[in-house]
Amino acid sequence: MKYNVKHITKYIYDFPASLCHNIVYQIPSAHPFQKLVNFDCEIDPEPTSLTRRKDFFENEFIYFSLQKTHQKLTVTSQSAVELVRPSWMDINPGDTPAWESVVDILHTTEVLNDIRQFYLESPFVPSLSDIKDYASESFFPGRPIMDSMLDLNQRINQDFTFTPGFTEISTPLREVFAEKKGVCQDFAHFGLACARSMGLAARYVSGYIETVPPPGQPKLVGADASHAWIAVYIPEVGWLEFDSTNNLLVNDQHIRVATGRDFGDVIPMKGVVYSGGGQTMDVSVDVMQVE
Amino acid sequence: MISSYLSERTSTNAQFFDELATADGNIYPHWQKLVNAYDKLGNEGLTNRAHEVMQLLKENGVTYNIYGDPEGLNRPWMLDPIPMVFSQKDWTLIEKGLKQRANLLNQILQDIYGERKLIRSGIIPFEMIYNHLGFLRQMDKIRIPGKHQLVQYSADLARGPDGKMWVLHDRTDAPSGAGYAFENRVAMTRVFPDMLRENHVRRVGSYYQTLKNTLSRLSWQGSDDPRIVFLSPGPSNETYFEHAYLSSYMGFTLAMGQDLTVSDGYVWLKTIGGLEKVDIIIRRVDDVFCDPLEFRMDSQLGVVGLMESVRQKKVLVINPMGVRILENPGLMAFLPKICQHVLDEDLILPSVATWWCGQEKEKQYVMDNIRFLMVRKIYRSRLNRSVYGGDLSEEQIIQLKNEIQARPHLYVAQELVNFSTTPSYINGKLEARNAVFRSYVVADTDNDDYEVMQGGLSRSSPDKGVFIVSNQSGGISKDTWILESEGKETHHLKPTPIIKQIQNIIPSRTGEHLFWLGRYIERSIYTVRLLRIILKKYYETADEKHLEGDLVITTLLKTLTAITGTQPGFNKKSILNQSKKELISLITDPHRVGSLSQSVQSFLNNAYSVRDRLSLDTWRILDSISDELSRMKNQASLHQINRNLDNLIIKLMAFHGLNIDNMTRENTWNILNIGRFNESARNTCIIIKTMLSEKRSDDVERMILEYLLMTNESLVTYRYMYRSTLEVKAVLNLLLIDELNPKSVTYQVERIDQHINKMPDGNNRYLNPIRKKLLEINTKVRLYNAEQLVTTDKSGKHRKELVLYLESITSLLGEVYNLINEQYFSHTQNRYGFVTTKLPEV
Repeated sequence: MKYNVKHITKYIYDFPASLCHNIVYQIPSAHPFQKLVNFDCEIDPEPTSLTRRKDFFENEFIYFSLQKTHQKLTVTSQSAVELVRPSWMDINPGDTPAWESVVDILHTTEVLNDIRQFYLESPFVPSLSDIKDYASESFFPGRPIMDSMLDLNQRINQDFTFTPGFTEISTPLREVFAEKKGVCQDFAHFGLACARSMGLAARYVSGYIETVPPPGQPKLVGADASHAWIAVYIPEVGWLEFDSTNNLLVNDQHIRVATGRDFGDVIPMKGVVYSGGGQTMDVSVDVMQVE
Repeated sequence: MISSYLSERTSTNAQFFDELATADGNIYPHWQKLVNAYDKLGNEGLTNRAHEVMQLLKENGVTYNIYGDPEGLNRPWMLDPIPMVFSQKDWTLIEKGLKQRANLLNQILQDIYGERKLIRSGIIPFEMIYNHLGFLRQMDKIRIPGKHQLVQYSADLARGPDGKMWVLHDRTDAPSGAGYAFENRVAMTRVFPDMLRENHVRRVGSYYQTLKNTLSRLSWQGSDDPRIVFLSPGPSNETYFEHAYLSSYMGFTLAMGQDLTVSDGYVWLKTIGGLEKVDIIIRRVDDVFCDPLEFRMDSQLGVVGLMESVRQKKVLVINPMGVRILENPGLMAFLPKICQHVLDEDLILPSVATWWCGQEKEKQYVMDNIRFLMVRKIYRSRLNRSVYGGDLSEEQIIQLKNEIQARPHLYVAQELVNFSTTPSYINGKLEARNAVFRSYVVADTDNDDYEVMQGGLSRSSPDKGVFIVSNQSGGISKDTWILESEGKETHHLKPTPIIKQIQNIIPSRTGEHLFWLGRYIERSIYTVRLLRIILKKYYETADEKHLEGDLVITTLLKTLTAITGTQPGFNKKSILNQSKKELISLITDPHRVGSLSQSVQSFLNNAYSVRDRLSLDTWRILDSISDELSRMKNQASLHQINRNLDNLIIKLMAFHGLNIDNMTRENTWNILNIGRFNESARNTCIIIKTMLSEKRSDDVERMILEYLLMTNESLVTYRYMYRSTLEVKAVLNLLLIDELNPKSVTYQVERIDQHINKMPDGNNRYLNPIRKKLLEINTKVRLYNAEQLVTTDKSGKHRKELVLYLESITSLLGEVYNLINEQYFSHTQNRYGFVTTKLPEV
């Protein structure tokens, strides 16, 4: 599948700002089943300095600063990506190794720290004993790992209600779990907590997904959004991706941008602005399928 | 005095190792000379010297702040007159051990932020690093030039029961205390010069030279004259004294996060002359507080964009951010093995026995022995205090065990070492107290090695048998003496490198404090002067309950209301009838804006914020002003207060005089004076206005004129010049336009202009806006028409013209202040916020 993505972030400050520094994670990543054909980021007003770098998790990000007085800031990221059907779509979940054996392998020094680091706690995903209890229901002894994960994915999808506006960035996982409400980020964080509580390496994936309008209605411009899901490591297969918000094993419709321990590592855009007041923000994302 | 120490040594204190004597009471040879000296001094002699030490430190303004204690700001620094003493033999081993340890930690640091071989091979457990909040992933693969990534290192050491030195903590993230160590030595040298000489105590100075030398060779740009900034969290930090002290001693510019800004990738210091590029930041701000964009978003102490500047190699931060990972006490359990692996050597200085709970066997040991162990988290923070199992209740033990069980890799337990006792001067006698020694190590680029300070900062507990010693919990500091074997003066100071004269740079914030320092000292002086006149007159007034009828005293009181800005004050009848209460409040109430107490306190606060700019003797004066202020605080008798005021004015003038005498005539001096003259010109106008706005009968007017001249210290000048009775026009001449009278408005405005002229951007071919405004004031003052101004309105009572005229001058002076603020201090505008991030929604 080929997609064009347009991600626009607009800020309007209450008072003119003299300086701002920003970090942007919006460049789709290179991935075995994803090719980045083109990427372009336009910033208005034009930044004074801009660099493109790779972080600890090999994600590309943009750092820019603006040193002239401005009251509006618009960042437009446009990318073209090609997705192919991941090899894991052809795996029979029942044929995957028992989850405990994966855990055992992960906890040896044979496995790279780059992978092992994802079974540890992270700032937004603390380990909580009752989450482990919840997860255990999907991980009975000897169950193939992919089976367990698909089951967990489905349970989260059923037990949690997708409720935009209920949570914000600072909402702790404990509360998300208690209320069982949230957005894709909360679903993903909860999934991470479950997988990690069992000892598995799981990481957060940020990206985009095309939304399909209800039958007979035209698709609205800007109605898509950035999205989040998780990837779990299975030896010899790699990082399998699960989207519990949509109860899916990720196929060729999820555009991957960045991976990290949790949302905090890959925030689409964060910044500090020297201005006396607040600001309003508007984000729009368009994901267009190309022939 | 030693005999009682020794007898206690052999009886009650036998359980510990003692620095001075064996358990049988035999004095170690290296202590012998000192013991003789103390015996000779006797109790009384030592008490006197102890007093002298404290007095010296107090006068030098050596202070320490205690967190969370409202009275805790600027506590005097405590120094025991009895030093911690090391023999040369002991020291040789300690020094060698510290160098090895610094080297080892340096290699570990490079590995953790480099290839991570030690972690991959399992020599360092990976959970211990990846779970540690000090592992800053942003610093991955980032290096500073040269082989020393760890530039400054400190270790806390103590001697165990076996007589060996043990390392208790490694300190790498902004280790503190080197400034206090130096001040301690300065004080000890003053009070015990002979003891230092006779015992051949090694000098500590070389450490500071090496630090400076290493830093000046570090810069990326290869500049041999890098601009070095000392980044401090600010005056409320516990060791702010030391930040100010070290920066002024080492020639670094003291700055806070808000003084710095990142643009074009470079870090800039906001100065009164514009932006100055910074090459090196030596930081006392914890690494995670250094850049709110990339680390802790709640930090107000950092510099936004600093991390990116580091990535671009446009600035060097020392120690590099991310070094806190080395403070991980879990590492201690693995150091012997790592040392073997990395250096192929045995670890010279053992660490305290440490069990990292991330290992099953070790965790079990900790669980079983928790009551006898110190339990701490691998990441040290103010919230994560270490606890001694023996101090916990049954319930707390269970809770702690559960926490360890849930996150074992975040916990270590350590043996509680019975460290050695050393004589301490407590309540007039020598007593054995447990002590800890903090060493200072710095990379020495010239010799490709580490250098250890030949001394350090020791701390002893004020209470008997207490092992946890820190300044926050009330520890007393000790100087540390390394005794050279007789006749062998092997250690000598390196020749001082010639340091290039660098232009004195003033951060805008410092400039603003200097300006207000000038204003507040003038405000305090004017207030005291007027108060003394009022109090004198007040005693002469028979009936203090009914002052209304006395036009002279009421005018004076109203003038006090005017210059303290505490309207309505004495303009209100009810207050005038309770004049004593209002007077005392205006003098002593520290919470009342405009009161003398508040002005003097603001003066002191501003001085404290620029303490790196003021000389040592100036500090002694500030200290005595502060003493006078606290003596005055609870006074209820005007008579007593009057004596305080007499003292205060002399001390305030001494501050003045000393600055005139010793402050270099550069921008520090210019700004201080701009503040001063701005305040005094304003006060003069307000005083004239309040005193002369009403025309009185001739004899009343004469008295008021006399007081007017006295408040402006111009009475003598007047008498000398006019040799006549007091007359309004002549007085106005003298106070407004007499160029030779330093108290006249025109003189003061002229002086502001002269100082502005020497400031950055002050001396252009075209007058800058500040000087234009000053010219406007001066013209207005000089064009004054005495005839017109002294005329009264139709009622014959009010001098309306004079009032309007003086009001317009004060308002112009206010505009001058705004312009100065805009030109020199406005880059201190520092409010910033975070742009909100929206959650992804699908």
